Amino acid sequence: MQTLLANHSSYPRIGDTKHAQRLRRAYADRERGHITQSEFEQVESSVLAEILHEQAAVQLDWATDGQISWADPVSHLVERLDGVRLNGLLRFLDTNTYFRQPVIEAKLRRHRPLVTREYQRACAACPVPIKPVLTGPYTLARLSLIATTAYRSPPLLAADLSMILADEVRDLVAAGARMIQIDEPLILHHAEDIRLLRELLEPLQNATGEAAQLAVATYFGDAEPLYAQLNSLPADILALDCSESPRLLDAVAQTGSSKVLALGLINGRSTRLENPDDIARTLERLLHRYVHDSVYLQPSCGLEHLPRDRARAKLALLPDIRRATT
Amino acid sequence: MTDRAKLRHLGLDLPALPTTTVGSLPKPPDLQAARAAYARGKLSHRDLDAMTEEATLFWLQRQDEIGLDILVDGELYRGDMVAYFADALEGMTLGGLVRSYGNRYYHKPIITGPVRWVEPITVGWWQFARAHSRKPVKAIVTGPYTMMDWSFDEHYPDRRSACEALAAELRKEVAALVHAGARLVQIDEPALSARPAELPYAIEALRALTDGLDAYFITHACFGAFETIYPALLDLPTDNLDLAISQSAVDWIEVFGRHPFTKDLSVGVLDVHTHRIESPEQVATRIEHALRLVGRDHLWISPDCGLKTRTVEEATAKLRALTAATARVREALAATP
Repeated sequence: MQTLLANHSSYPRIGDTKHAQRLRRAYADRERGHITQSEFEQVESSVLAEILHEQAAVQLDWATDGQISWADPVSHLVERLDGVRLNGLLRFLDTNTYFRQPVIEAKLRRHRPLVTREYQRACAACPVPIKPVLTGPYTLARLSLIATTAYRSPPLLAADLSMILADEVRDLVAAGARMIQIDEPLILHHAEDIRLLRELLEPLQNATGEAAQLAVATYFGDAEPLYAQLNSLPADILALDCSESPRLLDAVAQTGSSKVLALGLINGRSTRLENPDDIARTLERLLHRYVHDSVYLQPSCGLEHLPRDRARAKLALLPDIRRATT
Repeated sequence: MTDRAKLRHLGLDLPALPTTTVGSLPKPPDLQAARAAYARGKLSHRDLDAMTEEATLFWLQRQDEIGLDILVDGELYRGDMVAYFADALEGMTLGGLVRSYGNRYYHKPIITGPVRWVEPITVGWWQFARAHSRKPVKAIVTGPYTMMDWSFDEHYPDRRSACEALAAELRKEVAALVHAGARLVQIDEPALSARPAELPYAIEALRALTDGLDAYFITHACFGAFETIYPALLDLPTDNLDLAISQSAVDWIEVFGRHPFTKDLSVGVLDVHTHRIESPEQVATRIEHALRLVGRDHLWISPDCGLKTRTVEEATAKLRALTAATARVREALAATP
């Protein structure tokens, strides 16, 4: 059995030293017109290189670009589409982070890639494979407000978003992506829509073809009640937040999984550092009925909910856990 | 006692549609520079305090001149609403920077031991503002649920225990404010809707914070899915709920139609996260909409959150639009029996 180490998605873009806060200053300077967009991008690229280096240094098998240019998990993707206006701030699930709610005012059109250029930029700066991450069509539609007759209901909006994201997945695959993660945290709060989610993910899985693997990630909620249905989604990898409920751990241990799992055993929202030996024992228990020849070990969610030094320390636990696993 | 009767009992004779702000106001550039110099050890605490007092006086005068009915000290001595109290409580330390939105970051506190209130935290600033204002001044304390939810916890066994401990200690701050003469006390609980399953103990924490204290309590919450915790939200032991719902996609008329709102309601009618200045007409429309939610005797008018992220000029212009719109609506109401 191969244990592969991965980052989840986001990563803190600033730290606590003056140098580590240069992106924050660059944002403010750009807003005031003190630096050009090009100068801002230079700073952003240097920060990207830094966080990619931090991930490579802890021997991850899959890194992410940390989503360092995303304002939030929703608007970053949707504002790039025609037919969208951004509304006021709303809290993102149960976090102390916010997103600007998209108001859908016309039929959506994607006329340029959403994250493919960001993916290519990260690849060029990192020796470790990069996993691009997209917020999924179900979550995007759920968090949007429909103000057009082009979509009579959220499922119809979600279906269009699914096709748009499938185009993005195709572009990512063409650019070399070999694993693409689709984040669908909202499904944990709307179990009744699991069939809809299955339909929405099919175009995305088709878009990956044989060239790449599709991972579906849920977090910020208890996945145990949906665990069996999540295993039936059209995806290659199921990423789970294991910090929310002990019942999920029991379900995985008792039933195994029909999919390759990416186990979020490192709590991405707590500064408490896990004991690698304890996590290794938990991992062994979870894999008791597991039949696949690889498993991914990663944080439970994006690490941007932690201070930079603690995020780095959490990632550094992953190789220790792998070593401690028999 | 009705809410208006309670206000009169407390010596507060407020007009229809009382206007106020949520709490934080922009730090003038010289105060921002002074805080940065203080952080680098280049300015003494005494000098920083003097500059903060000067800025507080500026904002008290400015709020009065704009025509707000209830003033605030502007929280110019605070960096972040959670970190400020955490820094003053024993058992909490400030962690590293964590992003909340866009380019906004805060030092997310860490609970490292038993939480303990050591001495008054905000009372001195409230007294300073009260002494320099001819209008009522609202005291503002971050609530225990939000303090817990927006901190990392490395000490208590679970979230509820941490929340209860914070409530017991923060009550001492609220009691000290009331003892000092505060009659309007706002408890900031923006995290209230974060986890609906935890609302019952968040309500109990607020009860522990305020029970038996003779003041008119406002609970401020913002940017949450309040519809998910309504009507349970009405169980909050507070006189006034301040909700940022005027730009919400939720049909609150329909929601309140099913379960009538039973408290005073403060509605946020200014978007504090945009540089754009609302026109008095826009704000008046929002107030008129809010009047369909509760009766005129139960409606208060405020921005949807603290204005600290705006410039002094933007905040001033926005608040002028708020008071102008409120005056217009009051006139219309006065003409209507």
